[in-house]
Amino acid sequence: MARNFDSRAGVTVLSLILLCLTISNNIVPVAEAIWLTIPNSGAKCVSEEIQNNVVVLADYYVLNEEHPEHQATVSVRVTSPYGNNLHHNENVTHGLFAFTTTEGGNYLACFTLDGHQEPATGVTLSLDWKTGIAAKDWDSVAKKEKIEGVELEVRKLKDHAEAIHNNLLYLKQREADMREVSEKTNGRVAWFSVMSLGVCIVVSVLQLWHLKRFFHKKKLI
Amino acid sequence: MERRRKQIYVVAALLMSFISRIYSLSVTVNDVECVYEYVLYEGDAVSGNFVVVDHDIFWGSDHPGIDFTVTSPGDNTVHSIKGTSGDKFEFKAPRSGMYKFCFHNPYSTPETVSFYIHVGHIPSEHDLAKDEHLDPINVKIAELREALESVTAEQRYLKARDVRHRHTNESTRRRVIAYTVGEYLLLAAASTLQVMYIRRLFSKSVAYNRV
Repeated sequence: MARNFDSRAGVTVLSLILLCLTISNNIVPVAEAIWLTIPNSGAKCVSEEIQNNVVVLADYYVLNEEHPEHQATVSVRVTSPYGNNLHHNENVTHGLFAFTTTEGGNYLACFTLDGHQEPATGVTLSLDWKTGIAAKDWDSVAKKEKIEGVELEVRKLKDHAEAIHNNLLYLKQREADMREVSEKTNGRVAWFSVMSLGVCIVVSVLQLWHLKRFFHKKKLI
Repeated sequence: MERRRKQIYVVAALLMSFISRIYSLSVTVNDVECVYEYVLYEGDAVSGNFVVVDHDIFWGSDHPGIDFTVTSPGDNTVHSIKGTSGDKFEFKAPRSGMYKFCFHNPYSTPETVSFYIHVGHIPSEHDLAKDEHLDPINVKIAELREALESVTAEQRYLKARDVRHRHTNESTRRRVIAYTVGEYLLLAAASTLQVMYIRRLFSKSVAYNRV
C-alpha cells in the first residue's frame, strides 16, 4: 500500500517537473509569449531599436483555436535597419529565427496573412521575442561550467547586472551624441539669425543701388 | 528514496519560482492595437511602461497622447491611463489568465508606441508554507531578480524616451536648415519682385505721369 502511494507520488512529481521543464524550455510554448492579432489585409509589424552585437531569438506560431479546419498560414519577413533581409518565410504556421545584430538600429518583423482566410476578425499569432540577456542559453553555460541550482541562479543574476551596466554605458554614449547635435543646432540658430540680418541688409542695398541706376537712366534724378 | 524525493522537490520548486517574461517591442497604432500576455499566477506583479515614439507635430509643444487600458481575463478594466505620451504602470494581477493591453489612438495620424511588459513571480509565504523543501533563499533570489528586472524596465523606458528626444532633435536640426534657406530665398524673391514692380511703374507703356 505504501509503495503504491510512493510510486504515484513519484509519478505526479515527475509530471510536475516535466511541466516545469516544458514551460521554461519553450517546448510547448503555451504561456511564454505575447499574442498579436494579424488583420486580414495588410501586415502587422513589430519593431525594436536594438544596438550592435546583440543576440535576438524569436519564436512564433499561429493559434488555431476556433477554426481547426482552416489552417491559417502567415508569411514572415525580418529586416535589418539597412534593409537587409534577415529571415523570410512563406505559408508557415510556426517558425523560429535567431540572429546577432551587426548594426544598431530599428529591426522590423512583419507578419502577413496568406491568401483569403475565413475568419473576418483576423488571426492570432503568438510571438516570443527575446533580445540580449533574455536570449542567453543557460543550459550550455551550466554544462560548460558545471554549475547548477542556486549557483546557476546567482550566475544568472550576475550576468543580468553586467547587462544592465552595459546598457547604461550605451545610453550614456547615445546621450553624448545627442548633446553634440543639440549644441550644433544651438550654434546654428544663432549664426543663421545674424546672417539673415546680413542678408536683409545686403538685399536692400542692392535694391537701392539698382533703383538709383534705373532712375539715372530714365533721367528722373 | 526519501532524499531523492527531496531533491526532486527542490529542483521543481526552483524551476517554478523563476518564471518571468519580458517583452520590449514597438507597434504602430492606427486606431486600436492590442497585445495579449498570459499571467500564470494570481497575485503576480505585472509592470511595464510605454512611450509614444513617432510623432511629427508641426505646431504645439507636446503630443495630445494616446489611451492605454489593461483588461483582465474576466473583462474588467484593471488599469487605465488616458491622453499620455508615455508612462509607467504596475498592478497586481487579481487572477491568472490572459490579460489584454490595448493602446487607443484617438487621432488620425498613426503613432509608433514602444512598450515593455514584465510579469514577475515571487514565491510567497503561502508557497513556502505549502512546500517545506522550498528554501527561503529561493525567495530572496527571486526578489533580487525582480529588483534587477525593475532596473532593466527603467532602462528600457529611458532608452525609449531617448529615442523620442533624438527624433525631436533631428527634426529641429532639419527645420533650422530648411527654414533658414527658405527664408533667405523668399527674402531675395520679395525684394526682386519689389524692384520689378517699381520698374514697371516707371515704364513707358504704363502712363508714368501718374506716379
